[in-house]
Amino acid sequence: MRGQVVAVSLIALALVLLPALAPRDNVLNWVFLALLYGALAQSWNLLGGFGGQVNLGHAAFFGLGSLVTRTLWLNQVPLPLALVAGTAAATAMGVIIGAPSLRLRGPYFAIGTLAVAEILRITTANALPEVSFLPTTYLAGYRLLPRYYLALGLVSAVTFVAWWLTRSRFGYGLAAVREDADVAEAIGVHAFSHKLLAFVLSSLFAGMAGGLFAYYHVSYYLQFPFNPIWTFDALLITFLGGAGTVWGPLVGAGFFLLLRETLALRLVELHLLIFGIVFVLVVLVFPGGFVAAWRALATRSERSLQ
Amino acid sequence: MSSILLQNAIFGLLVGGLYGLGAVGLSLVFGVLKMLNVAHGELIMLGGYVSVWLFTLWRVDPFVSILAGGPALFLVGAVLYQALFRRLIHFHEEHKIKNSILIGFGLALILQTVAILVWEADERAVTPSYAGSVFALGGVVVPLSRFAALLLSFAALGGLHLFLTRTRYGTAIRATAQDEQAAALSGIPTGTIYLVAFALGSALAGVAGALVSVSDAISPAIGLNWTLKALIVVVLGGMGNIFGTFIAGLFLGVAESLSGFLLGNVYREVVGLALFLIVLSLRPQGLFARG
Amino acid sequence: MSGDGPELLEAEDLSKSFGGLRAVDRLSFAVVEGEILGLLGPNGSGKTTVFNLIAGALPADRGRVRFSGRDITREPPSFRTRLGIARTFQLVRPLPNLTALDNVLVARLYGRGRSTALRTARDESLDLLSLFGLSQKATTSAHALTLAERKRLEIARALAARPQLLLLDEPLGGLTTTEVSAALAQFRRIQAEGITLVIVEHNVHAVRSLCDRVIVLNSGRLIAEGRPAEVLSRSEVIEVYLGKASRAALQ
Ligand SMILES: Nc1ncnc2c1ncn2[C@@H]1O[C@H](COP(=O)(O)OP(=O)(O)OP(=O)(O)O)[C@@H](O)[C@H]1O
Ligand SMILES: [Mg+2]
Repeated sequence: MRGQVVAVSLIALALVLLPALAPRDNVLNWVFLALLYGALAQSWNLLGGFGGQVNLGHAAFFGLGSLVTRTLWLNQVPLPLALVAGTAAATAMGVIIGAPSLRLRGPYFAIGTLAVAEILRITTANALPEVSFLPTTYLAGYRLLPRYYLALGLVSAVTFVAWWLTRSRFGYGLAAVREDADVAEAIGVHAFSHKLLAFVLSSLFAGMAGGLFAYYHVSYYLQFPFNPIWTFDALLITFLGGAGTVWGPLVGAGFFLLLRETLALRLVELHLLIFGIVFVLVVLVFPGGFVAAWRALATRSERSLQ
Repeated sequence: MSSILLQNAIFGLLVGGLYGLGAVGLSLVFGVLKMLNVAHGELIMLGGYVSVWLFTLWRVDPFVSILAGGPALFLVGAVLYQALFRRLIHFHEEHKIKNSILIGFGLALILQTVAILVWEADERAVTPSYAGSVFALGGVVVPLSRFAALLLSFAALGGLHLFLTRTRYGTAIRATAQDEQAAALSGIPTGTIYLVAFALGSALAGVAGALVSVSDAISPAIGLNWTLKALIVVVLGGMGNIFGTFIAGLFLGVAESLSGFLLGNVYREVVGLALFLIVLSLRPQGLFARG
Repeated sequence: MSGDGPELLEAEDLSKSFGGLRAVDRLSFAVVEGEILGLLGPNGSGKTTVFNLIAGALPADRGRVRFSGRDITREPPSFRTRLGIARTFQLVRPLPNLTALDNVLVARLYGRGRSTALRTARDESLDLLSLFGLSQKATTSAHALTLAERKRLEIARALAARPQLLLLDEPLGGLTTTEVSAALAQFRRIQAEGITLVIVEHNVHAVRSLCDRVIVLNSGRLIAEGRPAEVLSRSEVIEVYLGKASRAALQ
């Protein structure tokens, strides 16, 4: 326990000091991406890992956050306000989709979220087909540093929420709902409101990550953040690292980006294939991901020491 | 005005027949196995490529290709079931649905990437001699190949219905869907039944894919869109209800086409979403389900 | 309609159908505060369905449920638990990937008179676990427990919600004779603490020794009510409960 606290503090300190230590922007850029993906995966994990509800349309919330933030920001709205508006839009969407579909058992929630994401993507592609460029006045002042610290703040906030889920009444209630919603109800946990609140938190942070993406990227198609690949990456990262664990999505994000950069050098399409296969294997054969593997190793070595 | 409306409705009906057929396989698999294969659209995409392939290699008519697309996807489905989905069959229901969704999601990415590697990312089309032919019916223009595709969709559905109600095997599938334990006790090899049902659902996707290729281009990216249509249709029709699913497909096709005409094409997809959310909140058992 | 004391729970004209099958058919009965009521009936007679209607896991087609005088017919199950109705399941349902301690802890955090402070709730949950001989298993995942342990865990979990009314669905099924007598002693202790019990049980000896009163269902309808010894000797009860053949064997 104490060792864990020390390790986390050290890593946090290193991340805070990194811009001063790393001379080259591409290192900082890489870590920025790891933080962004880590935050997005962690936001999926809040509901998918801790709450057991499979959201297949996470990109919708990421995309909506980015769309609203980008549009407002480029229309002279101050960035903090634009970020808040983007986050609020994603959260509101979460309530609208979550309220009907989380009431039902079975696959309705997964279907509902997938449908919403695709329809938003197609509609955005139809209605706003242009590339969104940062105007030259914005480009002149562009620096990676504030984006980096925003990402660090975001990942810390969403990970704090994940940590809170492991040691709060609400977190225990949510775990009970994940395990068996009927039993949870029978011991006093209102299953629906727990799922809905977890979903709202999840879409809130996904929207924020989308806003950060809009603030970060110089030029992209507005439909791009709605692409289902964002959902897939969030799922892959979460499952690789360990769904329903606090550190899994962060470990998974680091690993994912390392692997992607290595693979993408030579095998542009193949890396998607490999990720797809890895994902299916993890779900089928090793649902606990890295963190579970690590824990299993740790307890085994503890036993052998005794 | 009204004849344009009618024209749009007819066109929607023709597209809707494909939506229905595209969704029936998904509905069958869900009804029997309680698994949701969200890679179903990718199976439709593969069915489309079978037809594109046969056409480019040997000029095989796409309607004839159904005879290859169905069996080919039956085999693909059988392999996928044995390799992946079989492992979930004895999970607790909620757990089974959840894991089948996750696996299907990964599988969709795998199949799409494989299609890009094999056939490249761009669109392929089948161009038989009758591709552009139409006939007029009381002032309404009907594309010949789409009309034939609709008739064949009906035929495929009728065939499925006869198979499920009139054959021993079909009866065994229905019995297993209703109560696995009772079916197993009465000597039905439920393991094989699950395999066949899954493969049959895939075969229906293969047939749907071949029919899609008659009038639409095929590309690796179309899978997700077809999965989406199929899911919306399955929810509208009632999960696991095969006839409801088919009618819901026609309904969605007409609704999309009319709203595209009345509201503008940009928002035609939104109509599917709105319908979907309304049905989910007010009638989650589906529009066309009893009770 | 029943013995002494105020009525804690009243079911009035309750019905529930599944498709064409009437699982519970216009059933009325009351549970008196402080008693142990046996709910009897042959397989498929609707006992578990009655529990589901009382606990709120299923909505009633018609009729009302009143608890402490309050109409709870439309309330969700979690609300009923917080009011003071707790239950166990016929097929034990632990929260499989949570530890035994956490299974009890959730109920302690959410049930009636809940402790909102995590530490207090955890201490109280540990006490409950030791009361049920599960201290050693506190950090074991619930799915790794034996059937007898899971059954005890489930009762501990229900008690953690501090119920006034506890519904036990075949709590003795699958237990050995020693485990059964330990469980019966446990139930009496629970009653002594002022908790009212309704118990579904096929074990006739247990019912005789434990229950103050029994009601008997057949095809979802009430066919008998009274003291266990008296009711169990009525010929119409023996007939539905054991079948004609066994009646002959019994005599
Ligand atoms: N969720 C359900 N859906 C459909 N039918 C049900 C459902 N629950 C119970 N039934 C049916 O209702 C009838 C009563 O079932 P119930 O479980 O209440 O009986 P029981 O008295 O508890 O039986 P047992 O002693 O076997 O536990 C049975 O015929 C059963 O098959
Ligand atoms: Mg029962």
